[in-house]
Amino acid sequence: MGTLLEVKGLSVSYRRGGVAVRAVDAVDLDVPAGAMLGLVGESGCGKSTLARALMGVLPGNASIDGGRVALDGEDLTELTPAKRRQRLWRELSFVPQTSMNALDPVYRLRDQMREVLCERGGLPTKAADERAVALFRSVGLDPVRLTDFPHQFSGGMRQRAAIAMALALNPKLVIADEPVTALDVIVQRQVLDTIRRLGRDLGLSAIIVTHDISVVTYLCGLTAVMYAGRIVEQGTTEALTRRPTHPYTMGLMNASPDLHEPVETLVPIEGAPPDLADPPKGCRFAPRCPLALAACRESDPPPVVVEPGHSAACFRAAEAGALREAARKASTWTR
Amino acid sequence: MASIELPHIAAAARPRAPGLFARLARHLAKNPSALIGVSIYLVFVLVAALAGSIAPYDPIEILFTEDGQLAASLPPSAAHLLGTTNLGRDVFSQLVLGARPSLFVGLTAAVAVATIGSAVGLVAGYLGGWVDRALMRLADLVLGLPFLPFVIVLVALIGPSLQNIVLTVAILLWPNAARVIRSQVLTLSQRQFIEAARVTGAGEWRIMLVHIAPNIVPLAFLYGSIAVGWAILTQASLSFLGFGATDTISWGTMLQDAYASQALDREQFSWFVPPGICLVLVVLAGFLISRGYEELLFPKLGEG
Amino acid sequence: MDPLIEAFGLTKAFPVSRTWRQMLRAERPRLKAVDGIDLTIRRGDSIGLVGESGSGKTTVGRLLLKLTSITSGQLTYRGDHLDRMKGARLRGFRQQAQLVFQNPFDALNPRFNIRRIVAEPLVNLGVPRAEHETRTADSLRLVGLAEPQRYLDRLPHQLSGGQLQRIVLARALVVGPEFLVADEPVSMLDVSVRAGILNLMRDLKERLSLTSFTISHDLTLVRYICSRTLVMYLGRIIEQGPTEEIIARPAHPYTKALIAAVPRPDVDQPRDALPISGAIGSAATPPSGCRLRHRCPYAFARCASEEPPLIEVAPGHTAACHLHIA
Repeated sequence: MGTLLEVKGLSVSYRRGGVAVRAVDAVDLDVPAGAMLGLVGESGCGKSTLARALMGVLPGNASIDGGRVALDGEDLTELTPAKRRQRLWRELSFVPQTSMNALDPVYRLRDQMREVLCERGGLPTKAADERAVALFRSVGLDPVRLTDFPHQFSGGMRQRAAIAMALALNPKLVIADEPVTALDVIVQRQVLDTIRRLGRDLGLSAIIVTHDISVVTYLCGLTAVMYAGRIVEQGTTEALTRRPTHPYTMGLMNASPDLHEPVETLVPIEGAPPDLADPPKGCRFAPRCPLALAACRESDPPPVVVEPGHSAACFRAAEAGALREAARKASTWTR
Repeated sequence: MASIELPHIAAAARPRAPGLFARLARHLAKNPSALIGVSIYLVFVLVAALAGSIAPYDPIEILFTEDGQLAASLPPSAAHLLGTTNLGRDVFSQLVLGARPSLFVGLTAAVAVATIGSAVGLVAGYLGGWVDRALMRLADLVLGLPFLPFVIVLVALIGPSLQNIVLTVAILLWPNAARVIRSQVLTLSQRQFIEAARVTGAGEWRIMLVHIAPNIVPLAFLYGSIAVGWAILTQASLSFLGFGATDTISWGTMLQDAYASQALDREQFSWFVPPGICLVLVVLAGFLISRGYEELLFPKLGEG
Repeated sequence: MDPLIEAFGLTKAFPVSRTWRQMLRAERPRLKAVDGIDLTIRRGDSIGLVGESGSGKTTVGRLLLKLTSITSGQLTYRGDHLDRMKGARLRGFRQQAQLVFQNPFDALNPRFNIRRIVAEPLVNLGVPRAEHETRTADSLRLVGLAEPQRYLDRLPHQLSGGQLQRIVLARALVVGPEFLVADEPVSMLDVSVRAGILNLMRDLKERLSLTSFTISHDLTLVRYICSRTLVMYLGRIIEQGPTEEIIARPAHPYTKALIAAVPRPDVDQPRDALPISGAIGSAATPPSGCRLRHRCPYAFARCASEEPPLIEVAPGHTAACHLHIA
């Protein structure tokens, strides 16, 4: 399977009150064709900024400082903004967190579908309407509802409609930013199943941005964990959840309890993520990491390959087995 | 909870949050538009306060040249910085003393509009129900009145004193402020910290005055500063149109005089350009300050 | 032990906007967000209320704290009718029953410093000013903010989400309540700090012998801090019992779906289709009989004609489903 999206050394900064804040710092990321990658991180870690940078829809006060984003070998960062916009929908499309934002409240769904299919895709109206029916069916919506307005839809249906729209022009890659966070458990599961089926049946490639590691384990074959603007660990979801190697990943796993396993005590990660306007020296997780060594506070650990297709940016990656043992104990994390 | 032992907390060891004045100073330093606005106001307030000693002549005194001629329509000179009017009065002295009525009208109208607008908006928005409906219909009614014709009629009835001008401006401008403040109050009422106040036993008045009112101050300021402009311009318009008080020298009466005596035809720019600039500056200063206020009075909730 | 709170046929209805036809017929349609629920909370209980949005769970919490009025039914706190409580009685109740909010970023007045925020309940309840400083500091220490002086003069936007939620807890605890309602106490917080708040809540409940009522859509959370759980659907309680029992042996098809729907941090988790289809409807137009019947694969004729009552399926475990009556 070839690499569909290749991100190398991508850095993005925001300008906030005269200070440059580096929200995404030298990120490397590969998405093979037909794969779903879960991008996991907490609020402010830069995962949404990264998603926007990939889409080329950064807000005005943000800029790409360096690195390349190659889709099928073509560097998107070198394109003019107008050229990039042309590729939205056709090559890359986006499912936002609250689909109310993606859907225009004053137009019927059919008209919004036509807008994408006819204006962007160049289809005649009749063909567009047929395609819209097929798209609605594929995401589990009744095509009759195409003549409805977005407010007549429930939250889950709106999210499905947003997914249908993102799939309209058969994009190579779909980026979904917290696609199920605003939904209730049952509806969330239904939407997850829809995305999973699309991945299986259509070979959909997607990046699923989320704070919930369980969503990733349910849906994605690959996982990248982001902390304070950096990817700290990435690999197959199986390797990463079974053999977490970065202490932050271990902490996240501790903090994500399994409803079907008995839980005695939950283990929090003390402290808060650093201020990205003034990141700490060395490893950015070191101030919260109970397993940090003196070296961790001195210099930045580079990513090391711990097994084929699984890398982690931690100086103690080689001792991961012993660290995992320690990280399971609540006493390790309390100071 | 009473069972927990407490070490004594030394009051001196407490780090203090910067006070309002410190924040104001820091804010101004970072916010050039507000700084410019405040500076303009300070200059005008200073000029108005010291007008008596700054003005070289009595503004209504008719001046004569050394050879006994009427000092009419003189160009600017060392003796008459902005020249003289067609009746031999010193333009600079008029300009300086004219700051007083203009600032008086502007600032009192601002206070009146902000106060009435806040009170009505707060009560209507928080209490809701028939109180809200009654107040808002009254506001609609007032908003339907044409501004200048109404002012002219009212001033003609009750007299063109500065106080009456302020009164009419306040009557006409509170509904704008009240409507916007009401909707802000409606939004604030939905915030969880208002519910939190209720659940901890705060009474309705306390919620309204302590928890909601401070959050509408920026809007009150904004509408107050808009009123500054309206009031000064209204006073000037009334003077210009000839409905103003004849015994006060203001920037408006200066423009009216200059217009009536066809100063423009004589290209006597030094007579009517300076009061015009002063009017624009004071009105502008109000807008500049109100733009800068939001951030000062609304500490942001970080980046989320 | 005596019940602290008892509710019988507790109902809260909201007016909904009318169609022209309803106006012509002078109909006043109402949405029963809470529709006749019975509830007993004993001292020392830790009860969880689980449901999707639209189930009416938040309204139950607001009713229990007298933040909204009762439409019908009765609700008593230590035998006192909540709807008749006024003046000193109400102030006494406000001191006893407190709320932990969902969104700590919104629940604190952004213009007040932490000192003022935490002392606010003391001001409202007329506690002498001299006690404020010590009680405020006490309360902050209680919620794990070991050096209160570091926080007292800060503004909310200067603190992290986890710290803010601790402040919210400190404000609730400063008056020494016995009953704490928490509405989605950690849903706005980052995963890594959730655990800290949940541990704190569990610990405080023990140390202060609190009675707690936790509202959430998240069974994982409820399971961690509640010994008994109620499941709500469209204004009704459809299942209740010991939390572990409900998770291990859910009796109602809805509860089964609710449990099966939670994704797990395990790559080998089952991914079978859920037994329940569709989405929760509107409480303004509930179906006849069992409210779940349109979504339930097991529904039969009786489910449409007759609403199932809560019946015992195991000791202390009841469910409202005709499958268990037959």
